[in-house]
Parts: sequence; C-alpha cells; structure tokens
Amino acid sequence: MEKKQHYKSMCRMCNNHCGINVYVENGRVVNITGLKEHRWNHGRLCVKGRLGVDLVNAPDRLKKPLKRVGSQWQEIDLEQAYDEIAEKIKKIQQTWGNRAMGIWKGEAVGFLTQEELARRFAHAIGSPNYFSNDSQCYVGRWIGYALVSGTWAEPDFANAKCTVIWGSNPPYAHPNMTQSILQGRENGGRLIVIDVRLSAMARQADDFIQILPGTDGALALGLARQLIRDDLISHEFIKGYTHGFDAYADHAKAFTPERVEKETGIPAERVVDIARKIGNARPKVCIYAGNGLEHHENGINNVRAIACLDGLLGSLDEEGGNFIPEKIPLRSLTLYDEKPLRHLGPIGADKFPVLYDFRQECHTMSAMDTILTQKPYPLKGMVLTGANPALTNPNSRKVIQALKALDLFVVRELFMTETAELAHYVLPAATYLEHSELHTYPVCQSIGISPEIVTFPECDYDYMFWKKLAHRLGASHYFPWEDENELNQWILKDTGITVETLFDHPEGFKYKSRHFQKYKKEKFNTPSGKFEFVSDYLKGHGYSHVPEYIAPTYMSDPNPEYPYVLVTGARKLFYCHGRNRNFKRCRTAIPHGEIEMHPHDARQLGVDTGDVVTVTSSVGSVDIPVTVVPHSHILPGVTQITHGWKESNVNLITHDDRNDPIDGFPLMKSVEVKIKPKRQEDGE
Amino acid sequence: MQLVIIGNSAAGLSALEAFRKRDRTSPVTVITKESTIPYSRVLLPYYLRGKTTFKNLFIRSEDYYSQMGATCITDAVVKLLSEKQTLILENSAPVSYDRLLIATGSSPVKPPIPGLEGKGIHHLWTLADVENLMPCFKKGKSVVVLGSGFVSLQGAWAALSRGLDVTVVELLSRIMPNALDDHGAQILTASMKQSGVDLRINTRTLKVEQTHDGKLKLYFNNGHDLVSDFIIVGTGVRPNIDFLEGTGIEVDNGVVVNHHMKTTLPHVYAAGDVAQVPSTFGGPCVIHALWPTALETGRIAGACMAGENISYEGSLNMNVTQMFGITVASMGKFMDVEGAETWTDKTLSHGQYLKILMKDGVPVGATCAGGSELVSTLGLLRPLIREKISIQGDPAALKKMLAQNMTRYHQAYGKGASCAL
Amino acid sequence: MRFITMDIKKCVVCRNCEYACSFQHTGDFNRADSNIRVAYHDDIKICLPQTCMHCEDAWCMEICPAAAITKNEETGAVEIDSGRCAGCKMCILACPFGNIHFDKSNLISRKCNLCKGEPQCVAACISGALQYVTAGDSCRNNREIFQRFMATLHTPL
Repeated sequence: MEKKQHYKSMCRMCNNHCGINVYVENGRVVNITGLKEHRWNHGRLCVKGRLGVDLVNAPDRLKKPLKRVGSQWQEIDLEQAYDEIAEKIKKIQQTWGNRAMGIWKGEAVGFLTQEELARRFAHAIGSPNYFSNDSQCYVGRWIGYALVSGTWAEPDFANAKCTVIWGSNPPYAHPNMTQSILQGRENGGRLIVIDVRLSAMARQADDFIQILPGTDGALALGLARQLIRDDLISHEFIKGYTHGFDAYADHAKAFTPERVEKETGIPAERVVDIARKIGNARPKVCIYAGNGLEHHENGINNVRAIACLDGLLGSLDEEGGNFIPEKIPLRSLTLYDEKPLRHLGPIGADKFPVLYDFRQECHTMSAMDTILTQKPYPLKGMVLTGANPALTNPNSRKVIQALKALDLFVVRELFMTETAELAHYVLPAATYLEHSELHTYPVCQSIGISPEIVTFPECDYDYMFWKKLAHRLGASHYFPWEDENELNQWILKDTGITVETLFDHPEGFKYKSRHFQKYKKEKFNTPSGKFEFVSDYLKGHGYSHVPEYIAPTYMSDPNPEYPYVLVTGARKLFYCHGRNRNFKRCRTAIPHGEIEMHPHDARQLGVDTGDVVTVTSSVGSVDIPVTVVPHSHILPGVTQITHGWKESNVNLITHDDRNDPIDGFPLMKSVEVKIKPKRQEDGE
Repeated sequence: MQLVIIGNSAAGLSALEAFRKRDRTSPVTVITKESTIPYSRVLLPYYLRGKTTFKNLFIRSEDYYSQMGATCITDAVVKLLSEKQTLILENSAPVSYDRLLIATGSSPVKPPIPGLEGKGIHHLWTLADVENLMPCFKKGKSVVVLGSGFVSLQGAWAALSRGLDVTVVELLSRIMPNALDDHGAQILTASMKQSGVDLRINTRTLKVEQTHDGKLKLYFNNGHDLVSDFIIVGTGVRPNIDFLEGTGIEVDNGVVVNHHMKTTLPHVYAAGDVAQVPSTFGGPCVIHALWPTALETGRIAGACMAGENISYEGSLNMNVTQMFGITVASMGKFMDVEGAETWTDKTLSHGQYLKILMKDGVPVGATCAGGSELVSTLGLLRPLIREKISIQGDPAALKKMLAQNMTRYHQAYGKGASCAL
Repeated sequence: MRFITMDIKKCVVCRNCEYACSFQHTGDFNRADSNIRVAYHDDIKICLPQTCMHCEDAWCMEICPAAAITKNEETGAVEIDSGRCAGCKMCILACPFGNIHFDKSNLISRKCNLCKGEPQCVAACISGALQYVTAGDSCRNNREIFQRFMATLHTPL
C-alpha cells in the first residue's frame, strides 16, 4: 500500500539550515522542497538542499558497521562494534592516560546539539581533547569579532543602507543569505563586495573591490583612517562604549590611501571613495566578514581591524547594522564548568591559548604532530564523526600519516570517505533526516527542531552513539536521557518552550523579538566591558594590543621560486566543503577540481582551460586542470583552487605549520606556489 | 458577405483563423481537393521517417470547420468567373463569393526526362504521395531521389533512416542551392556521404526505363547508370493556377499580390505558395513556397478580407531541418552577395558553422550547419533583418545586445514592470 | 494568470535555476538541459536569466507545423506537446529571444512549461531575482509592450 507523508524540517546540506518540506513515499524520502513559511529562506531552496534526497538514499551510504581486518573491511554487529571500541578506548586510557583519546566533531550529520554532545563525551571520558574543523574555519573570524565586541554579531542586511560583503560568496556559501543582502539593496542600500575574486555576489555589487589575498587588514585600517579624517564616525558610541580608541586611531594613521594601495593593490582614490560611502551610511552599515579572511598568517588581526569598523561607525547592534542576537537559555551539554580539564593540557592550548580560551577548541594541526611525535604526550585514539580531515585539513599527507598511526581510529560517517578509509572501525551514521535535533537561528532569534523522518536500523544518531559508548566506558551518568527526545526536553527545560511547541512552529519559533543598542544597558562581553579597539588581554599574552597589520609573506618577502599566490577554499554551487563529490548528478554539473587562473598567467604558462598543471608549494605538489577565467575575475598572479577533490586535493600543498600566531589558523590562502604545465613526458 | 477560401493548408487555415478573429458571422466556404481534415505538409517526411505518427499529421480536429463556422467542400475548382464572382467546381454546384482567397498552393513539376512516369515514380508533396510511398519504404529497397532541395533531401534522409539504399542525383555542382550557401552545403554533403548516401552531383538523368523485373533503370550523362526500386522526383514546384486562365489576373511566376495580398482582380486575394508576394528586402515580388510565408500571407489576407487595413512586412525566407545527423538552417540572403559583409563565427568548434551576412551593418541573412543552438541565433536575427536594425557589423555582440535591450526595458519600466521576463 | 518575473538587480548568476530546471525534467544537473539560461555579460555587468515569456501571440505557437504548441489555459504556459512535436526546429528559428531549446535525447524541441504552475527555477532562486507572481492588468499591458519591444527590438543601440 502506498503511503505518502509530508514532514517539515530543516536542511543540513550546508550551514544555512533552511526550512524544508520532506516528502516520503513507502518509507523513502522522495522529494525535498523549500518551506514557504520559514523565517530564513521563505520557501527558496538551492539545488544543494534538494540533494538531501540523494544523501539519504545514496546507494553508497554506509549502513553496516565495518571493522578493519588486515587490509579488508568486515561487517560487524553494531553492539559488538561498540563493545570492541569501548574495550580499546579503555586500554588506551589505562596505558596512556585519558588524554590520549581525542574526539573529533564533524559537521556533516547534525545541527546545534552535535557539537556539545561531542564536547560532553570527551570530558565525560576524561579527555580535554575535543577537536573539530573549527580550529581552521569560522572560529578565526569568531574570535576576531569576540576580541573586539565580545560576540559574533549577525548582519541585519535587509535594513542596511550599506552592506559590505568582505571575503565571502553568500550565493554559494550561505545561499539564502543572498536574499536578505539583495533585499537590503532593493530597499535602497548600497552593496560593496571586497574579494580576491569576482564572486557571484560581486556581480551585483555597486562597488567591487578586488584585493590581494591576505591584505585585508591594511584596507580596514586605511578605511578607519579615512573615516576618522573625514569625521564619518560615531562620536557617541566611541565616547560612551569603547576602549582604546586613541591607540587604535594612532595605529591607523600610517595607513594612508597610498600605503593601502601599495599593500592591497586597490587604487588610493577607491579607498577614499569606499570609506566615504560606508561612512555616510552609518550607522546602518552591515559588514560581513567571510572565510576569505581566515587562513592567513595575520588573519585574526585582519578580522579585528574589520570588526573595529563597527565601533567607528556605531553600527554594532543597530537596526541595519551588525545586530547582536539575544540568546535563548538552552541548557548547555558541555562540562567545562562541571568538569574542567584544562590542566590536562588540551592539544594546542599551550601554543594557541586564545583558541582554547575563547572556544575550548584543540588545535587539529598540532594534533597531527602530537600523534606522530608523541609530544607533548601521546595521542593514541580518535573517535571522529562526520568529518573528512584527510581532505579538508592542511597538509593532507601528514594528516593521513598521522591518522594511520593511531592505535584506535573510529570514524562514524555516512560514506566511506578518504578519512574513513584510514579507520579501524567505521560506523554508519544517521543523516539530518533521521533524527530529532534542535537548532537556533540567531539572526531571526528563533529556534527549530527536526523530526525523525526515516530511519535505518544500524545508523545511530549522535546522541545514541555517544550514549552507547559512554555507557560502556563508565560514564553513563553523563548520558542519562533515554533518547534524543528526552534530551531535547532537558535542553529546553529553562526556556519554557516544549518540544511540541517547536514541532508546531516549523517556520522557526521566535523566542524573543529583536532589540537594538543593548549595550546601553548591558556591558559588552569583553574584559573591559566595552567595545575593544585594543585588547589588553592579547597584550597580556604577548601579542600586539592593536589590530596590527603584517603583510603576507608573498608580499613582504617574495620568493622568486614560488611566483604565484594560491587562494584555496572558494565555494562551488554543489559542494559543501569535502561533501557531495560522490553524487553522480553533481559530477555531471561540476565534474572535477580546477585551478582558476587569469588569462595573462595562462598565456605565460602556455596553458588553456582543461590543460593539467602541477602546482607546487613548499609542502607538496598537486596536478590539476586549469580553468582560465575572464580577466576581471581574478588578479594576474593570483590563483584559486577549491578544496574537497580527492583527485586533485589542494590540501596536499597547504601549510599546517605556518599559523596565525594568535589563533593558530593555518595558511591555506595566500599560499606561495609555482605552476608548471604537466607535459606528456612528465607523466607516466 | 460570403468569403470563399480555396485551399486548406497553411495559408488557407491561417487566413480563415485571422478572418474569424475579426468577423464571427459572415459565411465562409472552404474548398479543398484534399482531405477535409487539415494536415501538415511539413510533417510528411517526418512521418515517412517514423518520427511522427499518421494521426499527428492532422493538425486540426475533425469538427474544425464546424467550430470555425465554415462550410467545407471537397472538390476541385475548374474555373474562376471573375465578373460573376463565381467559381465553377468539378463535381459540385458553382460557388459565389464576395471575397475570394486563392490558397491553392503548388504542385511538383517533373523534369522533361523520357520515361519518368508510371509505376515507381513518386513525388513527396501531398498526403496521397506519402501514402503511395509508404509501402515502398522497406529495408533493403533502393531509391533514387532526383533533386537535392529541401524536400528531396528530407525524403532521402527518411529513406536512409528506414534502411533503404539511397542515391541522390543533382544536376548542379552542389546540393540545396536554394537553402544553403556553399560551405553549409559542403558540410551537409559530408554528413550525407558519411551516412551512406550515394550522392551524384553534376549528373543529368537522360532517361528512365522500366526493367523486366519491375525495377527502374536510370541512364545518366556520365554513364554511371543504375537500377533502382523506385524514384522520388523532387525537382521543384509550380503554383496551381490553371483555373485562373482567361481571367486576366496578373500572373508572373505566381499570382502577383500587393502588401494586402490583393490580386489584380477585384475582391480576389491570394496567399501561400501560389502567391508572388512582396519581399522583406523590397524589390520584385517573390514566391517563397515555405510554411512560415504561407502562414504570414494567409494571416494578412484573412485580416484584410475581414476589412482590416494591414500590410505585409514582406516575406523572409527561412528554412530549418535536421538530417543526416546535423541541423541546417538559413534565412534571408544567405548566399554571398555583392556589397555584403560576411561574418563567420570563429569561436565555434569543428563542424559547427554560422555565417551572417550584413549590408551597412544591418543583417540581411544567415546560414548555419551543425548543432541546434545555432538555430536560435538565427531566431535572434529574424527581427533585426525584418526591421533593418544595425548591429554595427558585429554579430558577436548579438546576445549582448539582447541583454542590453532587456536591461533597458527593466530600467525604463522599473520593478513594477518586472513581470516582463 | 501568473508569470515568472525577474529582477535584474538581484540575479547573481549562481545557476541554481538552471540546475533546478534540468533536474525537474531530466533528473540530472546538466545546464545544457535547462530551459532557463542565465546570460552573464562580464564586460557590461549584466546578469540576465532568460526563459520563455509565454507570449500572448507566441510566434512559436503560430509557426509550429505540427500544431504541437498550445497555450495552457490554466497556467498560461505556452507548452510543447512532446507527443506531437516532430523535432523540425521551426519554433527555435521563430523565437526572437532564443528561449526554445532542443532535447538531444528525444530529438524534439523543449521549453519552459512553468512546471505545471510550480516553477522550479523560482523555487531554487536564492537571490530572490526570480518571482512567480499573479499579474494584474497593468502588468499584462507591460508584458505586451515589452514583447512588442523585444520582438522588433525597436530601439536599436
């Protein structure tokens, strides 16, 4: 008998969490469409969202627990797998200590709770070593902003008079953010895009500023200087609510338009012009800093310099500015207060204390060295869920070598990824359509829940996975809830909202209406309680207190051996990080990786679109086909490779050990490379 | 007011529909010597090829005429008595008219080749022709197609698709002289040969003989004679105007009409293949025995007969088809003409050909061979050719120009008018 | 009557619409199979999604020698009946906007049919450039002006 069901849920094919309709026939997900009433996407859903159907039904999905026996995979009973894994964890703990176990959270499988569950589990079994991709993505920006304003604000694009999209390509990276950005423009706002590439977003920009990779801090300081000079700043905000303006202004003084031109490649008069356009729109200015600002040697300070502009313009927590969302009092699952483990030396916290202070993130790049060198102590076991560092972490060769060297490597995944292939045990995971999890939308100040729509017998969801392991490891009291429904109820307990209420509000339950200028009543979440143009905290750790500008090495100390600059990680329509490459449909559309190259460079190298080149950095080499882009798309001398292609994995040549000194972020953009056409005789 | 339309193909139908749009009450009589349910001549080769069904050949419903409020008489017109405004029919009573449309179309002509008649000699023009041909289209049979025009080659392609041995005989030195330029013809020639057609250009058929075993032997001027199961003759058409003899109507190559499709006889109009109509390029009137021209001229005639004073913008010849694995199309003046600039798209890959001809920066014609995408470029050109709009000699900017025009529209009408995508 | 409208100040050429269209009728993500095509003119900064405008007096509909193109009274869509289309390409030659395409696997013409009233290109348009709106009389009037304007390109550059 044919049964047709309709569910309302949230998409997890990228980090946008759009509202979706999920249609099920005979127990099989058959279609996914945008949910009209949802606060975030208003019924629109990109093609990636629709690919959820492919994800859940994928023929190559892992459905059975696998155990490595020699070079072979053997199917194993799920409960037995848990038993064996638990035994091996215990053995590692007994031999090397609790901190020899690491827990690594990926983002492929869940929403809000997955991260805290992984953190909880790590501490529950006595290890401070919680890892995630966050030590090389997003958190750099988060810390940059948090250092200045104590939080990560959310841009209120729709009401902005001037929006600045800086180093981000929302149409591909955060699809439905595009709607609100362009809504703001329709309402009369100006759109400025600052990027290395003429991105999809830049196509609608009123001003497109093409900048050299990693030089954003110089531009931000140059804009600050000009704003101050032209007196296009908010005196009230600066006077009442900020710390260190004079030192900051003094530091910015050196960044004349001419200097900025020299550093960034942007003509001096454009710097002046852009500063005036931004300044005249104050305080309704939305500056959104993207992933393009991270992955540089001076990333954090570049982000800080940009974050400081909010203070100059008084746009922080303004309608049409960068709005500070109010939180919903969800109960936290982490055990940092209950069971702090910093004394056990979380990996990377010695080298990058700011990263741990702000985010309790261990440093995945250091983890690889730790595994390989056993310094400062042995790291012998790792449980990783839904992440693919073999493809997405810098210096893949080292990552693979390290993960292979573990005594116990457990991967919980949807697919046999490049990382899963290295594991001792691979357990099948549940997708976002197979379990019930909470998620918040800070910008809408709303919260939603996903229903369990379909299930597969051995694909445990996150909570069940951690609970089953914890129970075998003597940590059952940290995982007392029967199932995730009970867990969700517990998390919601202090909010007065019930799970049922959330299911009744698939559009996102609005927990609070928005209020602006909250700083007038409450302090900023910074050491001084003010908006910090300078950071005494950073100074205390031996860093510069102002957002100082240090030019990228390719500018300050060019190496003639590596004449090109390589940017990595630009988003493509179908692909979210390392994911979706196994879907045939996506491969029809975008079949392989590519190095984007200016026509001038292509001519000099004597290559054309489709020709394969060897790209070499001091880390390694990768062979990849060329795509010659139009002149305006990228500056001569600058190239781009999107990550996530195992056939041409750019992370074979990115740096794991050249880090931003503050947050430890690796150098994955502004990588110095040389490029050689791959000729027939070079090959086999 | 009694309207009479002779003919129920493209021009006749289009005239009837245009007339009825404006005049719902006046009686209309349609006289046709063929089937009363209108069918599409264009589809006949597709039907032969098996690309469409017999049923699909019929492009109007069975009760079409009653729905249109028209009477349909199946008969042949023998004579027009223009002073009496009356038509003499072969088998039925005379029909009088207040307005008359001659949309009698054309018929194939046979070249003066001895023996080119009788069993095994076919045309590919009417439904009856195709019904006669269909039983011959059997795998393993052989056919000789005389002529290499549009219809002939479609017939050849249909035969080839059905597994017949196909020989195409062309008197001239190249194929499709009226629908492709030299280079386009070369490309198509290569495809034809590759598909297995025995193409013989510069070949004159001297005579045809019936053999004792029921086949046909063709003798050629070059001595490479051959024997075939049947022959399709596709060497051109002539307008059906015999019944006009003695009326004094001006006839050149066809019935001469003005911009309102009016002939030189009072109350008598002509449209379609039978009519010699104004050309979009001005100059002498032309006969374009083409479906689009028939539709357009029919529409103008229908409107004018209903009393509307509209003028024809002039016929623009256009042809398109896919055969032997490639698409070929042409429009307007596609042969290299004196004083015209020629532009070929150099960005196209091998085997793709697009040529645009311009005069003083204004496109006057184009031809293409290769993929179907090229055809849409010709589509973009059509309004430009007709309206004589300059593209400043840069066809490469065609799509950009379209985009700019659209943008301008959006700017002019703003968001409120954004419904105009 | 509802129309697909577009705002050229919003399209970012992300091509979600093209892939959604291709997916809708082929199940694959192949731009070449899309009935909506986004033209991007780098030099003049124009982002222009182009799909059938479902003209009031559609040239393609008039010219089709197979009577395969009709207007769907319910949705207003000018539709090709794939069962009737013989693949002669006359409609492609007739369309002054280049909005009819050729289906190379079935050898017939294909074009936008408004997805039975739920256009997938609009559903996937994450910029908000494409809208599916109910049109009032003034809108219809504009449409006609526009179609005449475009069909003859009366204001040459």
